[in-house]
Amino acid sequence: MKRTRNDILQGTLDLLVLKCLAAQGRMHGYAITFHIHTISAEQLRVEEGSLYPALHRMEQEGWVKAEWGTTEKKRQARFYAITAAGRRQLEQEEESWARLRDGVQRVLRYA
Amino acid sequence: MWFSRLLNVFRANRLSRDIEREIAFHLSEREDDLAAGGMPRAQARLEARRRFGNVGAQGERTRDADLFGWLDAVVGDVRYALRSLRWSKGFTVVAIASLALGIGANTAIFSLINAVMLRDLPVKDPQELVLLKYTGGDNGVFTNPLWEQVRDGTGDVFSGVLAYGDTRFNLAEAGEERRVNGLYVSGSYFPVLGVRAFLGRTLLPADDVPGCAPVAVVSHAFWQSRLGADPSVVGASLRLGGHQFQVVGVADPAFPGLETGKTSSVFVPLCSSAILMGKENFLDKRSWWMFTILARPKPELTMDAVNARLATTSNAFFANTPPTGWPADALKDYLGRTLDVGPSLASLSELRLSYARALLVLMVIVALVLLIACANVANLMLARSAARQRELAVRVALGAGRGRLIRQLFTEGLLLSLAGAALGVGFAWWGSRVLVGLLSTSRDQVQLNLSLDLPVLGFTVAVAVATALLFGLAPAWRAARVDPQIAMKAQGRGVVEGHAKFGVGKALVMLQVAMSLVLIAAAGLLLGSFRSLANADPGFRPEGVLVASADLKLPPGREAQGIAMQRQLVERLRALPGVTGASSAFTTPISRMGWNDEVSVEGVSFPKREDREIWLNRVWDGYFATLATPIIAGRDFSDRDVPGSPPVAIINETASRRFFPGKSALGQTFRLPIGDSLSAPYEVIGVVRDVKYRTMRDAPQALGYFAMRQDTAFGSGVVFAVHTDAEPTTLTRAVSQAILDVSPSASLSFTTMTQLVDESMRRDRLLATLSAFFGGLALLLAMIGLYGTMSYAVARRRNEIGIRIALGAAQSRVLRSVLGEVSRVVLVGVALGTAGALAATPLVATFLYGRTPRDPVTLAGAALVLATVALVAGYLPARRASRMDPMQTLREE
Repeated sequence: MKRTRNDILQGTLDLLVLKCLAAQGRMHGYAITFHIHTISAEQLRVEEGSLYPALHRMEQEGWVKAEWGTTEKKRQARFYAITAAGRRQLEQEEESWARLRDGVQRVLRYA
Repeated sequence: MWFSRLLNVFRANRLSRDIEREIAFHLSEREDDLAAGGMPRAQARLEARRRFGNVGAQGERTRDADLFGWLDAVVGDVRYALRSLRWSKGFTVVAIASLALGIGANTAIFSLINAVMLRDLPVKDPQELVLLKYTGGDNGVFTNPLWEQVRDGTGDVFSGVLAYGDTRFNLAEAGEERRVNGLYVSGSYFPVLGVRAFLGRTLLPADDVPGCAPVAVVSHAFWQSRLGADPSVVGASLRLGGHQFQVVGVADPAFPGLETGKTSSVFVPLCSSAILMGKENFLDKRSWWMFTILARPKPELTMDAVNARLATTSNAFFANTPPTGWPADALKDYLGRTLDVGPSLASLSELRLSYARALLVLMVIVALVLLIACANVANLMLARSAARQRELAVRVALGAGRGRLIRQLFTEGLLLSLAGAALGVGFAWWGSRVLVGLLSTSRDQVQLNLSLDLPVLGFTVAVAVATALLFGLAPAWRAARVDPQIAMKAQGRGVVEGHAKFGVGKALVMLQVAMSLVLIAAAGLLLGSFRSLANADPGFRPEGVLVASADLKLPPGREAQGIAMQRQLVERLRALPGVTGASSAFTTPISRMGWNDEVSVEGVSFPKREDREIWLNRVWDGYFATLATPIIAGRDFSDRDVPGSPPVAIINETASRRFFPGKSALGQTFRLPIGDSLSAPYEVIGVVRDVKYRTMRDAPQALGYFAMRQDTAFGSGVVFAVHTDAEPTTLTRAVSQAILDVSPSASLSFTTMTQLVDESMRRDRLLATLSAFFGGLALLLAMIGLYGTMSYAVARRRNEIGIRIALGAAQSRVLRSVLGEVSRVVLVGVALGTAGALAATPLVATFLYGRTPRDPVTLAGAALVLATVALVAGYLPARRASRMDPMQTLREE
């Protein structure tokens, strides 16, 4: 299979996950992967192996909380939801992403 | 949050299952989606896994994110480490044993340093207390008249000031003495130190007034051991030096006295000197230097301000108390003095002074031993981690993070060194008590608080952790570079193993050899020095001489009888069966007692004051014969030398050379100062060999002996020396009986000349013994290291050597090749060690007697010993290599 280069930029995974949870409410891990992939018009693919360590880390940071639940297909899944601290973190990450994007764009335009 | 993480540690199993479930869910969702897209089930499952990546590694990373990484890892690592240590018992035992020795030795020495130098004095605000000194004097010893001046004249700078002086009290009525350490203290002693009474009251300023009543305070330990912990002791009477004293209180149990290592049992006020010493008390003596003064400066004053005020006010103290009978230049010195305060109490204890440096040297020695032990364990772990290369590679391949591997190895190291430390503490507990036993003499019991307090335990733990880091570093670093591909591929052994890998191992052995050489050189110096001290000619024969110190307790005014009594006593002692010689004297050599003065010789001028110094003794005739000190010229004292006859003296060779250069001393005269004038001339009637006076380390000094028979001012203290060809202590009873027959109220104490000599060398013996012990230990550890490393290197080269032998290499050639490797390691180590020893041995210079710190013979000897032992240790693996059966070796391939 051809290697795609649209793996998620390091450091932006937290931002994307938090944003999804903020917008969509409760989601399990696979749904998050799926959602990011779909909503980015298949431009972005979450490296699946990094997702769970990231989710668990964010849980320890207190940005998301998790609980076991049942999916429509009656499978047991772990559902994640954003917390108040997570929303504050999301704001910060959005800001810093905006700064990064501006910066990169300027370089691309004027360099 | 916190709590849930902690809980997680103990729920590790459940947690892993949770993560597994979560990942399994993810995989099945993916599989469903792929299958829905038309992929066959089986392929979908594989693809889902492939996309997810390494399930084990991700699971582990996820778990790490969940936990207080290290905490969980520690539990797992410890379990794993214990298992892997159990697999290799030999390794574990050797590692723990060498660490226990190394850490134990460090803890033992540190607990001594802690007890002697670091513990605070057991008094209120010890940091405020300062020691008083004076300019122009190198010590801070005061007379009672000076103390009274200080007490009354320093109210403007000190909020409190106290004085004390050592003494020993005899508790016995008569017969053999029972002496305890006592203190003369000022009335302010207990209040200013802030020491309270356990029972009754402490001494107070009101107790310390001229003409005071005989009262005493006893220490808690004394109250327990000698007074049976009698609760009604307050008001009871206690006999001190034959006088009744009333016990007014028992001091706080936490207060053993001010000087580390020395306990005082009985405290009496200064004024009671008038009772205990009668007319000869120290109260008005302006040349009787026996008091230490401590003060608490007023809190608002800086040290500089205190010293500035003392500089202007304190000169009067000296001006008010000029000693009588001093030479003009000494007096001028005295009158010019002013007081100043020292910064701390660090210099207070004699024990601190005389052992501080020795303890520091020992600390350096044991630290080196520990480093050598560390290098050994590092080498063992290196060898082991090389053997475990494949195990580690498997773990990496299965997704273990490298950090995790390193942590794993450190955990093993830490377990080893903590186990070593635990054993080491036991070893230290025993060792430090043995050491204190070695420090004590029959006269001075050294008592130190050696409990394992926080500093000691903290030190041990810190050493253990530092040790683990030190020896865990190399193996961990290597483990971190494990490449699973290469390690797994290396199924068999390569034909020729690179030697480079053992660079670290060999470097460690070189360091071990170098450090051992430093230790052996130091041990050689200290042993050699002790030997020359022990073999030094003291100028007398200590063997077979019993020494009885007696206080004849002559009634006041009848001291003149003392001479008659001594004649009678000496005659009785000489008549005892088995006695081959007996005499009496003011003091015996090496008793640390002394009496000196400055001579005047007509026609001879001495440029320096030291040149006039003469150490003196007063002896009965037969003294030199009893101690086997040869009389080189002239005669011994005899019954012709009586109070009326011209004063005579015997001097030693050094005195003869210094005072009467270029001529015979016989018939010459010298004088001593008496008050402001000079004594009658003493005529030299004999010259004796040089004798060590106070300690075995004394350089040759000018000595003079006067005739006891001519003593008109005999006090009542005298020492009898009795020689026998048998064991001298067997005479104790007979001598004691003979003296008490003549002088029934006399009090006595016994020792032997041999014991005095031995005790004066105890520090040297201690250092020599310990440094030899640790030097030997270091050598042993280094040789184990060398042997292990070379055995391992040979094992790694089995194939290469096998092929060489198969191709016709002679055994001797193989032997040479391996031994060559050993020699290179040893030679570099010895070179490094020689440089190290040259740099380090001056540290022990102050302990050496008759040796220079860079004594080439000792150094060469140490290098030779080390090289020889090292070659033997290296020869064994080399021989094994040369005897290898090539068929067998190669068939294993």
